[in-house]
Amino acid sequence: MKKKVISRFTMILFVIGLMTAIQFNTINEPHSRDTRDVWEIRQELSREKQLHSELLSEIGTLDGTLAKYEEAMNDSPEQALKETVEELRKEAGFTEITGPGLQILIEPSQEAIMSGQNIEQVSPELLIRLVNEINRFNNIDLSIDDKRLINTSPIRDINGRTTINGKPVGTPPFEMKVVAGTAEHAEKIYNHLKASPILDNFYIDNLSVNVMQPETEVKVEAYDEELGLEHLKAAEEE
Amino acid sequence: MWLSILGLILGVSLGLLTDIRIPPEYANYLSIAVLAALDTLFGGIRAHLQQVYDDKVFVSGFFFNILLAAGLAFLGVHLGVDLYLAAIFAFGVRLFQNIAVIRRIILSKWTEKKGLRESV
Repeated sequence: MKKKVISRFTMILFVIGLMTAIQFNTINEPHSRDTRDVWEIRQELSREKQLHSELLSEIGTLDGTLAKYEEAMNDSPEQALKETVEELRKEAGFTEITGPGLQILIEPSQEAIMSGQNIEQVSPELLIRLVNEINRFNNIDLSIDDKRLINTSPIRDINGRTTINGKPVGTPPFEMKVVAGTAEHAEKIYNHLKASPILDNFYIDNLSVNVMQPETEVKVEAYDEELGLEHLKAAEEE
Repeated sequence: MWLSILGLILGVSLGLLTDIRIPPEYANYLSIAVLAALDTLFGGIRAHLQQVYDDKVFVSGFFFNILLAAGLAFLGVHLGVDLYLAAIFAFGVRLFQNIAVIRRIILSKWTEKKGLRESV
């Protein structure tokens, strides 16, 4: 009898001890926030530094243009202006651009094909996310389903269809082309996209994103419409 | 008695060494469960000292009290009423009562023994 009582008490005390220890563990969880905050500050700092260096390089380019103007002022000012216009047109996306880059194929996922599901259009939200993901990188030119994306290109739903620049995007499969400037840059974008969680978001919509190996020669079409600038005004002279 | 304390030490060390954690939102329930368990434990010790200990009552009371307390807390969370306070209050009061009774019994036993020794 006594043995039984002791064994019961032992069992109950064991359970109490275990519960107390678990509670202790749970309450005394170490705070991981502090270290993460430091890390966030570091990342912020590196972002700002990057911005700084970008601004510096931009100042350098503009200084170069200024020097060119001054130099050309004497012999042919027209040539210098034409060059600048051409450069600006290229930057705005009115010219075809060829260079090292990569292609991204958006196609229906294998599972959706196998199970015979309807292949729906890519939703604008998803496409915007992907474009934003690629736009993390600077100096890139991008086209989706042969539609050139420029700074003012809208990606939106018009009458139930996803459109870019007002033109509907085809149902998958279609292709995105990215020209990255340098091969190294293209490789970086490739690696970033390969590891990006955005691919999972496409998978939810029964789509798979196939990021192709970077190529040395990718062609992005020119923007072929008028640029509506009715709300822009020339800056006042100082 | 020593075996029981060994069980407690074993439980605590197992819990600490395996580093088991439960989600923080369930910590409330566990704390009430611990209180309920302690209440049952001291109730059992008291019953044992008063020679009214029943094995079935003790073990069933242990698990039933824990489930009831956690269930009450759960219900309280979902009804927006702090029902777990009821459990804490009930168990807390009983815990003190039980410990007081245990203390008195032990004290009276001790004085009895002392009296016996002195009379010898």
